[in-house]
Amino acid sequence: MTELVARRRGLLALSRREAHRVLKLWTQTVAAPILSSFLFILVFGLSLGGRIKHIDGIDYDVFIVPGLITMAMIQATYANNSASVFQARFDRYLNDVLAAPMRPWEINLALSIGGVVRALLIGAGLLACALAVVDVPIQHPLALTAAVALALVLFSSFGVIVGIYASSWDHTAFVTNIVILPLSFLGGVFYSVDTLPSPWHEISHANPIFYLLNAVRYGFLGTSDVSVGLSLAVSGVLAAAMVAWSSWLFRTGHRLKP
Amino acid sequence: MSPTAALSLRGLTKRYDNGFLALEELALDVPDGAFFGLLGPNGAGKTTLISAICNLIRVTEGEISVFGHDHETLGARRLIGLAEQDVNLDRFLDVEETLLYHGGYYGMERAHARHRAAEMMDVFDLRAKAHVRAPMLSGGMRRRLLLARALMHEPRLVILDEPTAGVDFELRMELWAYIRRLHCEGTTILLTTHYLEEAEELCQEIALLRGGRLLARDSAPGLRSAFEADSLAGAYVKAMAS
Repeated sequence: MTELVARRRGLLALSRREAHRVLKLWTQTVAAPILSSFLFILVFGLSLGGRIKHIDGIDYDVFIVPGLITMAMIQATYANNSASVFQARFDRYLNDVLAAPMRPWEINLALSIGGVVRALLIGAGLLACALAVVDVPIQHPLALTAAVALALVLFSSFGVIVGIYASSWDHTAFVTNIVILPLSFLGGVFYSVDTLPSPWHEISHANPIFYLLNAVRYGFLGTSDVSVGLSLAVSGVLAAAMVAWSSWLFRTGHRLKP
Repeated sequence: MSPTAALSLRGLTKRYDNGFLALEELALDVPDGAFFGLLGPNGAGKTTLISAICNLIRVTEGEISVFGHDHETLGARRLIGLAEQDVNLDRFLDVEETLLYHGGYYGMERAHARHRAAEMMDVFDLRAKAHVRAPMLSGGMRRRLLLARALMHEPRLVILDEPTAGVDFELRMELWAYIRRLHCEGTTILLTTHYLEEAEELCQEIALLRGGRLLARDSAPGLRSAFEADSLAGAYVKAMAS
């Protein structure tokens, strides 16, 4: 064990640095997303919930919690890693890491850790806040763990990739505002896709976040618009593709090393 | 390749994606323990050469060995310390954290890294700024921290890319004194500079680069003699015009 730690000191140090950055800026990285998502629960759940009684036999204020947790976590892990990697490239302190005796996969993994830590803190914090006002069960903990793990792997790698390709802050923000946020809303955070008319119902099935969201919702509530096996499979394939892409970037130095 | 070479380059070529040829068939040996200078105008290929040695760019062709190890190996990377020309410090870290995390990236054990960081802060007069974040430091302090970071993991080959660019006279003298002491302790130094008097004062050997090619390599008196000049500046001007 000691020898393993000794061999992986670079990986551990860079992972600590990424987590340190999240914790150092905790009001911005953790508290703010919890607050904004909790406001959604209060405003949409408790206020609008009075008009929409049930979806799939579940109270509306409970129904939206898994989706809001998923949305907050994937946005946070993506935003964290894209910003951290882009900043490191922009200020060129990434050179200190690229020159160090670390393997490409170690650098890739360590740079992904910050987003994972941030997302887990937000997910746990938001769940704790939600439990204070609504009664959210965890029906299938294993499915929930698998779904959250895949969501974090997928979006932490995606964040690293965008951080490597971005040539301005606008690019990282563009992906959040034009891709992740709309896909999250349209993936069924606030409604069941089953209630949509054709062709919107079918189109929703082309949205990757729809599958993630339903896998997480199944883990919490035991209900889903699509089979949990399919949700996990789609999410798994996408996560594997993102990991493969980010690994290729670090292995070849493409975009990182001129 | 000499068995004692700290750095050995063979047929090193770098062509950037836009087609610009920054280094062309460069061959160079830097002996272990040498104080070696690289001189050349902007665009001569000095920073590209350093980036290639430190694995910060992809080499198009050729070989680079550091104390006999291929430069891409983890063993070779551990032996190199780099202070880049631009101040590239991590904006989220304070002085002490900058040194400790760097030590971690280079595999230093935590207690050893703490001890070494304290030593580096004392040597570079950074102790009072230990908990100040890099962006809040003055230009001179940032330059000191860059050097301290490059030396943190006790590298055998230290590469200094214009370490005294933009620093005041007092700090320049201080940095010269420290670099000299480091060299006397057996560390190989590869220095690039635009200050010819700096190269003449510090370096045992100097290589002149232009357009990614090696024009000449000798001691300062050797270069003066080869180019029939009274000063290194004269030799430099004649070499660049040739």
